Amino acid sequence: MNASLENPRPSLLRKGALFTFLALLGGLVGYGTSVLVGDIQTAWQDEVALLMAVVTISTGLISAFVVATRPSTVPKGCGVLQVIVMMLAGGMLLLPMFGTAVATTEIVFGAVLTLLILQSLANLMLWRAADEMLRRVMLETGAMAFWAVQLCLFVYAAAERLGLVDTITGWGLMGILMGVYFIASIAAATRRGLS
Amino acid sequence: MNNRLKVLRAERNWSQADLAEQLGVSRQTVNALETGRYDPSLPLAFKIARVFGHPIESIFTED
Repeated sequence: MNASLENPRPSLLRKGALFTFLALLGGLVGYGTSVLVGDIQTAWQDEVALLMAVVTISTGLISAFVVATRPSTVPKGCGVLQVIVMMLAGGMLLLPMFGTAVATTEIVFGAVLTLLILQSLANLMLWRAADEMLRRVMLETGAMAFWAVQLCLFVYAAAERLGLVDTITGWGLMGILMGVYFIASIAAATRRGLS
Repeated sequence: MNNRLKVLRAERNWSQADLAEQLGVSRQTVNALETGRYDPSLPLAFKIARVFGHPIESIFTED
């Protein structure tokens, strides 16, 4: 066993590899996004959903890199499950916008539901596999996101009822919810030193 | 809540990963415990006490 009073610090080589990986990932994401939506006139709801999909998939890829380079046996399978959850969430956000280019609406909707079931199962497995601190982070994320979203939803609903603002589609609200949840997860993880 | 986890771990020449494995938690959780970012549940506190062979009150103290 090794003595380690200080927190483990990644080596310069590992830092360089991570920086290179992130730079390549950023380039790929930027290029991919421009190819996908470069000539398409998108609604702001789709732009929000696309941004959340890109953020979710990018986070999943970064997590996959961390799992591959710094594997951890305890709690077993948590890292891989987190990657799966994020990649599936990204797919679920992309399919309704781009799926109809290659399949019928019904097939795309079926695919979305399938991904949703798989993602829910992966989330449940992640909860069961997680240790108590990760569970606490998940609970705090949910609580913060719910508090923020219900507050904003009430203000928006009142304004909409009074005719002060336009109606936002369910798809738009979903994109906003994902954004709020993502910010809440960063805040909850940072409090525990996980970011 | 304050704790002596870091000192006790160093006395035994254990890394954070070593301790994490014995406790069945992630290395990040051990790090959060040592830096005071996370207070353990009672079952985890008992497990920590058992691993180090000390009573809980000698490891964890109030602020």
